[in-house]
Amino acid sequence: MYPHTLTPVVAFMLQAQPGFDPIRDEIGRLQRNFQGLIWGFVAAWMILVGYTLMLTFRERKIRREMERLKSMVEESERR
Amino acid sequence: MRQKVIIAMLALVAILLARNLYTISMLQDEMRQGQIFRIIYFHVPAAAAAMTGSAVALVASILFLATKNFRYDALAVAVTEVGLAFLAVNLVTGSIWARVIWGVWWAWDPRLTSALICWILYAGYMILRQALEEPTQRATFAAVYSIFAFTDVPIVYFSIRWWRTIHPQPVFFSKEGSFPADWSRALMINMIAIFLLYAVLTMIRLRQEQTQREIDYLRRTLHAI
Repeated sequence: MYPHTLTPVVAFMLQAQPGFDPIRDEIGRLQRNFQGLIWGFVAAWMILVGYTLMLTFRERKIRREMERLKSMVEESERR
Repeated sequence: MRQKVIIAMLALVAILLARNLYTISMLQDEMRQGQIFRIIYFHVPAAAAAMTGSAVALVASILFLATKNFRYDALAVAVTEVGLAFLAVNLVTGSIWARVIWGVWWAWDPRLTSALICWILYAGYMILRQALEEPTQRATFAAVYSIFAFTDVPIVYFSIRWWRTIHPQPVFFSKEGSFPADWSRALMINMIAIFLLYAVLTMIRLRQEQTQREIDYLRRTLHAI
């Protein structure tokens, strides 16, 4: 919770506490805010890239299996 | 031909997202939320793409049950699997957003809970498909399950209107909406890019499903020989 999101009375009471530094508090809030944004973007792209990699590996596996089966069918037809 | 279309669409997605990343970073911060509000540019398009995907899965499942054409089954599984990834993006970005704004990673709020149930339902669809061996039985059961799973989608969409919720009310396509024009434009561009990415991934997954069917056919042929 940050003073600017609280009711003015509560914000006033918080700011009236000894040792409360509004500038440091605001810098901390902005930093957490920016870190959250970066983590959000990173998480979104990690999921999509992870899924794309999964698709790529599956594609390779399917192709290998297809080639193996085709050669097996050809071989058994030759016999 | 299909390969070229996929590459062209991917290039377009990359251009749109790179351009928009710059545009988004240049936008003014939201008054109450600050910079974190920019998560909306991925959070909302991911949800919209996933919901559209589940609607496509519903139509494909109904068409499969009506025609027994396996192309519809392949389409249903492709859109559902890609939709799961996008819904995961929506849930994870929403959770990070909640941590910054609400101070908690998760709240058992109607919107969040129904979205999580939606993800679990469609994950169940994928597990069901793995569990059934016989193709016709698998496709039929999966189609019925997909129709059932879709019932949660309107609940997710309308949950913020039907119940009291801490999730924000819609700011687009609604009378209460209050998004400035330049923010909406950037969101629309990201929406197009995310939908294109969804389409590309679906096309790749669809091709894999068709190849898998050919593999099953070859296996049966080998078994017969």
